[in-house]
Order: sequence, then structure tokens, then C-alpha cells
Amino acid sequence: MGLNPIVRVEHLRKVYRVGKEKVVALNDVNIGIMPGEVCCIVGASGSGKSTLLNQLAGLEKPTRGKVYIGKHEISAMTENELAKFRQAHLGFIFQSYNLLQNLTAVENVAMPLMFKGVGRKERTKLAMAQLKRMGLAKRANHKPTEMSGGQQQRVGIARAFVLKPRVIFADEPTGNLDTKTTRQVLYSMLEMAKENGTTFVMVTHEKDLAGCADRIITIQDGNVLSDIVVDDATKAKNRAAMFEGIATNSVPDEPVEAQADNASKA
Amino acid sequence: MKISDLLKLSTDNLRRRKGRTILTLIGVVIGTCLIVVMISLGIALNQQYEELLRSYGDLTKIQIYNYTYGGGRNDNAPPVIDDAMLETFKAMPHVIAATPQYQANSLNAQLYSGKSDRYQTYFNAYGMDPASLEAMGISISSGEYLTGNENFGKNKIPVLVGENFGYSFEDTRKSYNSGKRYIYQGQLDANGNPVEPFVDISKDKMILRMTDGDENNPKTREYELVVVGVMKSDFNAGYFTDSGIVMSVSNLKHLENTYKKLVGSASTNNIQTGYNTVYIKVDDVDNVADVEEQIKDLGYNDIQSLSQIREQMQAQVQKQQFTLGGLAAVSLLVAALNIANTMTMAIYERTKEIGVMKVLGCELGKIRGMFLIESGAIGFLGGVVGVVISYIVSFIINNLQTIILLLGIQNESNDMMGGMMMGGMGVGMGGASSVIPWWLVVGAVVFATFVGLVSGIVPANKAVKISALEAIRRE
Repeated sequence: MGLNPIVRVEHLRKVYRVGKEKVVALNDVNIGIMPGEVCCIVGASGSGKSTLLNQLAGLEKPTRGKVYIGKHEISAMTENELAKFRQAHLGFIFQSYNLLQNLTAVENVAMPLMFKGVGRKERTKLAMAQLKRMGLAKRANHKPTEMSGGQQQRVGIARAFVLKPRVIFADEPTGNLDTKTTRQVLYSMLEMAKENGTTFVMVTHEKDLAGCADRIITIQDGNVLSDIVVDDATKAKNRAAMFEGIATNSVPDEPVEAQADNASKA
Repeated sequence: MKISDLLKLSTDNLRRRKGRTILTLIGVVIGTCLIVVMISLGIALNQQYEELLRSYGDLTKIQIYNYTYGGGRNDNAPPVIDDAMLETFKAMPHVIAATPQYQANSLNAQLYSGKSDRYQTYFNAYGMDPASLEAMGISISSGEYLTGNENFGKNKIPVLVGENFGYSFEDTRKSYNSGKRYIYQGQLDANGNPVEPFVDISKDKMILRMTDGDENNPKTREYELVVVGVMKSDFNAGYFTDSGIVMSVSNLKHLENTYKKLVGSASTNNIQTGYNTVYIKVDDVDNVADVEEQIKDLGYNDIQSLSQIREQMQAQVQKQQFTLGGLAAVSLLVAALNIANTMTMAIYERTKEIGVMKVLGCELGKIRGMFLIESGAIGFLGGVVGVVISYIVSFIINNLQTIILLLGIQNESNDMMGGMMMGGMGVGMGGASSVIPWWLVVGAVVFATFVGLVSGIVPANKAVKISALEAIRRE
């Protein structure tokens, strides 16, 4: 791990114009996220945490200030440059999954590969491997509407990881899921990030989720309230509590099918 | 992103909203169909005109008249058409052949045939360029064309004769008043069989004889005409193909000069004023006007060709076609608006999808491409189906009479319908009333595709401008 942060923000300011009024979403934010870190951005509703994530991911242009990912100043990129940059280095996980409804799970996962110009056979193979890793091999040819929220989000995770990006941004990835599923999904994400050495930046408002992160950045009223690197002991404790009951070394659930699958193999 | 993936995405999207795609397609189909049928009617009309003209004569022939009277040539008169000028004509682009139809007007001679020169006719021949004969539409029913290189010996002249040339001979032993002095073409004997002429042009020897006119002690010259080939009678190529003689210009001039020497210089004072009628054959009707222009530039004003009439006819048809085609184009314009509308709708529906694709790294050009392919595909498919339907409509128009008969519709309505079709479309000269050539098919499909693409530009740009962030936030 290098000494330089992979995601770096300098004097970031974002002002929205609502009618005639100006709303300062981000005032003056300066943060750095190290390579391979799991970073949670927390804050109350309207604190500006989602705005920050959008700025980090280059989905919006800042009013002032600069955003760097690696050596690249993404806040200065054109839309096409950003598209190429995302293809090469970034992954996204959304709260509402944002899977394409008319494509199957495997086609959804393969989509970033398609944009990159990978051939159909090759990308289907890679996408299948990724789905298998998420325990969704049996769901590969199902459409999103035929899957549960947890399953859909795992397809989303597979899609984000399929290109092995340097950084993944996740906006409330478990916001639509129940507690049990949340834990499973979080576990999958963290495992994948660790496995690939991916820097993982997640926005959440759930304190116990944030407890599992390496770094917790708290935003309040458009400013950084705190930027804490969690010590290993606390982190281990939090994670143990969080993932209790989830088999550490096994593929996450797929309760009925998984058992049937195992049974047929046995 | 690969083109094949882009194509698949687009076609999948079209298939996804079948109902709307089909409705939009129908608009394009109707537009294309109207345009194709309208143009096909115009083409058929043109073809009928052309056939009509062709029955008048050769469309690719130009006639140049250059009569000069006496020796009094003024400076503004067109230049004399001599052999050098003929070569100039021949050298013009698109000109296949150029020949005078030289008539040795000062030559006075008789043709004799049969035992003791019993059968006789006046000699009247055309001098033409042997190389041009075939191009000038002269066909040979037996024998061969003249080549200009024949050599049958001294005083023997190779000629082509019209197939009914034999009928021009008369029997000098019968009195002028006797009906038996002449045999006419088509004359029948008592049994109703055609009567053969006195002279069999393919066998009998024909002697050309000129005299100096001295009744007491005439000086004469004789030549034998050797029939190389018999021309098929075709009045479009010239009446001489029926009952005339054709020989090379040089031979005819030689005969003329011989005659002039024979009768003495008294009547040879006429100056050589060049050829007064020249025919030019052009490779294609479309180039006739071009060649005419070049000839005019040389100073010749009296030029005639059937293609002048043809151009007028075409201009008329074209005007008609523009009117009809313009009306049809309006319906395609409506179809284009329809496509634009459909695409705009599709983009509103798929805003979120577009946003997701953008966030996942799909380049803007690819998103634009995807929508342009969709609108282009609507245009293309509409064009193809439109052409197919045009063929059906064209078939129905061309076979309307038969179809009506088959359906057993009563005579009255038959006449009325037939009359309407005939009247409305200038039909009645026979032939098809709707013709769809291959270029119209290709053109229609290309045009429809183009219309589709153009209609898609604005919606596609709209798609490109969609903010990814707002799109993915949308529920």
C-alpha cells in the first residue's frame, strides 16, 4: 500500500441552486482515502454525504475544488473521458440496485465488460465466475424482477467487481434490505474488496455498518466533522459482532438451492 | 463496445416495444410505398414514350443538314462538311459513327440487266461510310456488309441493294403504255401468288452505263455492280434499304468524276460544296444532346434528332413525377416526425437505463449510436417492407384488367375503372404502367434509412445530455 491516498479531495465546495436560493451542500471538504481502505461516509440526512460521494465518483462537477483519483483529476474530465475512466478504474453499487430490467443477471454483470469491448463469450464467462463467487450461479439467467432484493444487490455487487476496479463507490447499498440480508450483502462486499485489494467507499447512515470500516468520515452540514481511522481491535470486534453466524469461508447464502445443489453433488 | 453489441442492444429495444415499433414502421412503409409507386408510374410513362419514339425511328441518330446553294457562300455560313470534318465528328466523345448520305446529283446513268440489256432502271445510289452501315441501323438479310476493301477487279463496284430493288427495273421491250412494262412489289398473279421482279438481284448481272449524251456517236463507260449483300427493308434506317443502292462514298465519287470527264468540263463547273446531309450515331440516348451541342459549337444549326422530342416528353413526365413524388414525400415527412416522437418517448422511458449505462462507463457516442441505430432500423425496415408492398401494388396496377376480369366484376365498373386508370396515368400505349427498376428499390431503402437516422438525431442528442446522476436517482 502506497503512502499517497488514492482518493483525494481538496477544498471541495458544491452549491446547488434551488430556485433563487443557494444551498451549500458541501462547504470546504478535504479528505484522503488510502488504497485498499474500506471507507464509510456517514452523516444525517441532508448532511451532504451523498453529494460528496457523487463528487468523488465524478457524477457531478464541483462548484470549486478538486477531486483526484490516483493521479487523475476527475473533476476536470469531460464526460467521455470520465466514461473511459469509469470503464477502467471505477465500480458502482447503488441503493436501488439499478439493474437493467430487461437483461438477465449474467447480462447485467457482463455489461461493463461489453462497454469495454470484451467479446460475448469471454464476458459471459467472466460474469458467470463473478456470479458464482456471489452464490448466484443458479440465478444467472433470471431477470431482476424474478429475484429478491438481496439477490439483486449481489448481482449489483458482481457487476461492480467484474472489471476488478481500483475503487468502488457504494451509495447506501443496503438501504433497501432487511437486517439479515444487509449483513450478508455487506459481508460479500467486504470480502470481495479485500480479495481484490479494492478501495471501497460507502455512504451509509447505519452506525453499526460503519463500525466495520477502516476509516469513518462523518459529514455534518457540508463539512467534515470527523475523519477517524478505526484501530484493528475495535474493527475486529465490530466485524465479529456484525458477521456472527455468517460462515466466514463459505459462499454467502442461497438457502434452498444451495442445499439442493450440495445434496446433488454429495 | 463492439458494433455487434450495439446492434443487439438496439434491436432488443425495438423488439421490447413491438406495438409502438410496428405503428411507427407503418408510417414509414406508407411513405416509402407512395414514393416508390409514384416514381414507378413516371418511369413506366417514360418507357412508353420512349417506345413510341423508337417506333418513329432511331433515337440515337442525329442528322446534320448543310445545304449551300451555288457558289455564293457568305462568311456566316456553317463550314463545309468535308471528309476532314467527318473525322472531327467521329472523334467526338460518344459518337460511334458518322456518315454522309452522298448523292451524286450530277451523275446521270442507267442500270441494265438481262439479255441484251432488256431490263433497265435509273441509277440512283447513296454513298456511305462502309464502317457506319451497321451503326446506322442497316441490317443485312443475305450476304455481308460492305467493308470498303473489296476488290472484285477493274470496273466492278461492290454494292448493297435493298431487298426490293429488283422491282425498280422495267422491261424495255414492252411499250410505255403496256401494263407489262412494270412489275410492282406486292403484285399478284392470277393464282394470287406474288410476282417475282424481272431481275433477281442476287444472281443477275447488273451493268451501270453512262453516256456523254451524243446521240450519233455516244461515248460510254460501263461498270458492273457486284451485290455484296441485300439490305433488310427498314424505313427507320432509310427508304433505300427497301429499294435503293448503297456503295462506299469513294466509289460513288469515282463514278461521278468519271461521268464528269465523259461529258466534258462544260457541266463540271459545280464546286465541291461538301456533304449536305450527314448522319451521326451516338452511343446512348442520354448523350445525344451533348453531341448536338458540340456540333452546334462547330457552326451547324440545322440539326435534327428524335431525342429533341424525347427531352420535351421527359421534361413533361418529370414535372408530373415531381408533383406526385412531392405529395408522397409529405407522407414520409409525417413518418419522420412519427419516428422522432417514438424515439423521444423511448428515451423518456429509458432515462434510468441510460443513466446506469453512463455511470458504468458507456461512452456518449455509443449511447447516441444506440438510438441512431434504432431509428435507422425503423427507417430501414419500413423501407424494405414499403418496397415489398410497392411491388404488390405495382403488380396490381399492371394487371388491373386481368384481376378485375378474374374477380368477375361487371363490365360497367370494369370500363369505368379501366378508364380511370388509363386516363389518370396516361396508359393506353401498351406495356406496364408501373415499373420498379433496381435503383428505385435501393434508393427507396437508402432514403428511408436516411430519414430514420435524421429523425433520430435530436432524440439521440437528448439521450446523450441526460444527467447520469439524475437518471439513476429516478425511481
